[in-house]
Amino acid sequence: MAGSYISMGEAHHRITDYLNRFSDAVSYQDVSSLKTLLSLSSNSPHLLSLADALNAHNNNYPDIVTPLFRSFQNYRIAHLVDSYVAYEKAANSFIQEFRNWESAWALEALFVVVYEIRVLAERADRELASNGKTPDKLKAAGSYLMKVFGVLAGKGPKRVGALYVTCQLFKIYFKLGTVHLCRSVIRSIETARIFDFEEFPVRDKVTYMYYTGRLEVFNENFPAADQKLSYALMHCNPRREANIRMILKYLIPVKLSIGILPENSLLVKYNLVEYSDVVLAMRRGDLRLLRNALQKHEDRFLRSGVYLVLEKLELQVYQRLVKKIYIIQKQKDPAKAHQVKLEVIVKALKWLEMDMDVDEVECIMAILIYKNLMKGYFAHKSKVVVLSKQDPFPKLNGKPVNS
Amino acid sequence: MAETKIEEKVEEAAKIDLFEDDDEFEEFEIGLEFEEKNEIGTDVTQEWEDDWDDDDVNDDFSVQLRKELQNDTSEEK
Repeated sequence: MAGSYISMGEAHHRITDYLNRFSDAVSYQDVSSLKTLLSLSSNSPHLLSLADALNAHNNNYPDIVTPLFRSFQNYRIAHLVDSYVAYEKAANSFIQEFRNWESAWALEALFVVVYEIRVLAERADRELASNGKTPDKLKAAGSYLMKVFGVLAGKGPKRVGALYVTCQLFKIYFKLGTVHLCRSVIRSIETARIFDFEEFPVRDKVTYMYYTGRLEVFNENFPAADQKLSYALMHCNPRREANIRMILKYLIPVKLSIGILPENSLLVKYNLVEYSDVVLAMRRGDLRLLRNALQKHEDRFLRSGVYLVLEKLELQVYQRLVKKIYIIQKQKDPAKAHQVKLEVIVKALKWLEMDMDVDEVECIMAILIYKNLMKGYFAHKSKVVVLSKQDPFPKLNGKPVNS
Repeated sequence: MAETKIEEKVEEAAKIDLFEDDDEFEEFEIGLEFEEKNEIGTDVTQEWEDDWDDDDVNDDFSVQLRKELQNDTSEEK
């Protein structure tokens, strides 16, 4: 080993001394001192001992630590873009080291890097946007996370960390509106034979199911959305009420679309009362209430992307209304109850402030029959729907409306 | 020229708006795992009804509906 052993204190002393000399030389415009401080090949004992001191500082990971320090410094003075750029450099060096470590001992440290880089990127993007520049750091963080995913997703003990990174990637893609990018990661997670999904940590499974469930809502694949979001709900930490509320926000419209209603207590407890009137409208067959509820909370429903799902509940509400008309008729005259005049339905709709003529109502009834929400046929001439005597209003029983 | 500037501004506003997404799942603390048995099972997951589509027509809405339909027949006569 070149150089002799120096204590940490001594090393500190030498480095501070050099730094002081340097700034003094500049502030006093002392050119002769500045010259000696720069002359590398002079082999002056001063510079040699400084080099020993720097080595004694034992920075074996300069590629990680040096940019990391720069990142800390910039973070301290709230230069978040500069802080991000330096942090990304450190993170790239870190993942290179991590790749070479055989065991997964450093997995949780990697999670910290992954989390920090995402959150820092969001803040850096806000800084860029407020300076009128294009925010591109979150996208860059996404690329970094894909690299990390590649390191973890193979065979071996590190794979258990792949789902955490996936969840962080989902957060980025949902925020950037690039959810189609989730697909390749999902495929890699779900088709892997080498690793059973159940072996991932619960917290990651819950987050994963929440996000993939939301994707299924966007794809209008309601049975899959129900399965994923229900999984998230069942396994979510009960103390995480905000997370439970977010799961329910998407699960409720999914459940409604397959004919399952939440108890009102659930809506109250998790402050999701925007769904109360929708649920009541379904119970009643009240088309006016459904329309009003959708209108009243339009912004909120559009923003979370469930508006179209809720809009489609209309058919179930029609079914419920016609069923009520049928039951009322049955109580009055059981023999004729299965014949429902279109005119009667027109009257009921008029009462609900929906102006429709007989032809329009006939069209809606045809859709109900086609979708198997109603069994029967038209007597077209007499403008009557003749309902099947057996199970005229089939229940959905947890299945979506035929499309 | 002026028009493109306005468009740019709108686009930028949309970009910033993306940061307002409030449905981001909260982080769980790294390395902290809750008791798996402490599931909410009995609470949240059972507060659903699939057998609500009954034949009961005594609620206010149905009573009102019946009245409307009766008006209808009396008008016809």
